[in-house]
Amino acid sequence: MRVPPYRIKYYVLGFYLLILTAWQALFSAQIIPDFLFPSPLQVARRLWELTSDNYLWPSLKATFQRMGIGFAIAACMGLLIGLLMGMSRVANSCLRSLFLGLQTLPTAAWVPVSLLIFGLSDRGIYFVIIMSSAPAVALAASDGIQHIPLIYLRVARTLGTPGYAMPARVILPASLPSIVTGLKLGWTLAWHGCVSAELIKSSIGLGFLLQMGRELNDAAQVIGIMVLTILFGLLLDRFVFGLMQKRILVRWGLAPKASG
Amino acid sequence: MGDAESNSPAAAGVAPPVKLKLTRVSKTYSNGTQVVEALEPVNLQVRAGEFVIFFGPSGCGKSTLLNIIAGFEDVTDGEVLLDGRPVEGPHHDRLMMFQEHGLFPWLNVIQNVMFGLKRQFRFKPRARRAHARRFLQMVHLGEFERARIHELSGGMKQRVALARALAPDPKVLLVDEPFGALDALTRAKLYGDLQEIHQRTRKTIILVTHDPREAACLGDRVLVFSGRPGRVKADIAISLPRPREINDPVVAECAAGIMAQLEA
Repeated sequence: MRVPPYRIKYYVLGFYLLILTAWQALFSAQIIPDFLFPSPLQVARRLWELTSDNYLWPSLKATFQRMGIGFAIAACMGLLIGLLMGMSRVANSCLRSLFLGLQTLPTAAWVPVSLLIFGLSDRGIYFVIIMSSAPAVALAASDGIQHIPLIYLRVARTLGTPGYAMPARVILPASLPSIVTGLKLGWTLAWHGCVSAELIKSSIGLGFLLQMGRELNDAAQVIGIMVLTILFGLLLDRFVFGLMQKRILVRWGLAPKASG
Repeated sequence: MGDAESNSPAAAGVAPPVKLKLTRVSKTYSNGTQVVEALEPVNLQVRAGEFVIFFGPSGCGKSTLLNIIAGFEDVTDGEVLLDGRPVEGPHHDRLMMFQEHGLFPWLNVIQNVMFGLKRQFRFKPRARRAHARRFLQMVHLGEFERARIHELSGGMKQRVALARALAPDPKVLLVDEPFGALDALTRAKLYGDLQEIHQRTRKTIILVTHDPREAACLGDRVLVFSGRPGRVKADIAISLPRPREINDPVVAECAAGIMAQLEA
């Protein structure tokens, strides 16, 4: 049976209600002791306490600030390196294998080396964010550039576009769909890296609240912060990068037709 | 050897000046051991305002010659002069229109037409837009200036591409089989538009095609190419009155004459 598109959201809502119910049921069954496995209500209450004690807001702000600055730097670096890779075969051959290698590294694996280099300072967190996400952005950008239809470059040349203007006027815009995909992936990786780094290096931030919950043996806080981390990661992914992507696909006429 | 000196100026009386002059232009490709002669030496003079057709089967070197004039390919030997000056590389004074429209999907219709105008109107975006709008109206797409490329039909896309190629006012417009992918009705309409634009702007146009009817319908002059190695076999002046209709029996008869030259 096909579900009409406008009703899908009710199914999604039902799915999450089901998860919450199952969670609550599991809690009520008392199989696991409640200091290890809190109920959804306890988690919500703990998050409320963190908010009213003025713990949550400064930490959220700190994390987003780090992400904003760190990811902006990572995105710029990734784009520049990706542009270089897209336009130079040598640079591409050298850097591609390196970046593919770096990408196999879990983002948390950058934390120890950043501790060694930067100690406990915030610069170390930026370092982790950049190392986690810049390679993904660079790889996506270079892929996009390498797959630009030749016709665009020929048209631009015959219309008299000078070489120095090509990146800004043709090469970057033509690879925009790939670049946004790369930014989206890069954002997720940066988010991983940032929270991982905060676990160990920081006295503020979502990662710090997670670690603090563990130290206080407060399962409700640990799970609550995890839920928040997922939620904000998802929100940004959906509403910033997702919408950007959708907009570009619609403008280019590449958007899939609404399924029906 | 392709001796194709122009002796058929379009207008009677004073002949317009020579716009484009090719002297013994040839092209050979070598892939390691083998040397392939793609184009035997060609001599050609195109006068200002002439509509010249390069006609022939695929692989006859007509597109190669067009690419050479556009500056996308180097000559092996010979010289290409535009207004008496040797050409070097792609330049907007020899604008090329391709088989694929190549419109940029990140820009809307008018922005595409404005793309080649950065130089002429460097600090005057409004003038640039007004100029682009004139050419969009010339191809009868005035109301579509804000449309996205994917919203246009195939024929409309080629007309935007035509407006974009004309807007920077090239000295020579080079057209590489731009109607191949279109249906017959759309094509017939575009033949009319192209002739009208040629009459109005007196632009020098070189168009490549493998369709003899298209050649007869559009050209003041048809150069017939034959293949392997590519060479110019005949240079036919066509003096049918304009505007010509692709389905006119006179055009069909003329096309038959062109085919006969190819097979001769």
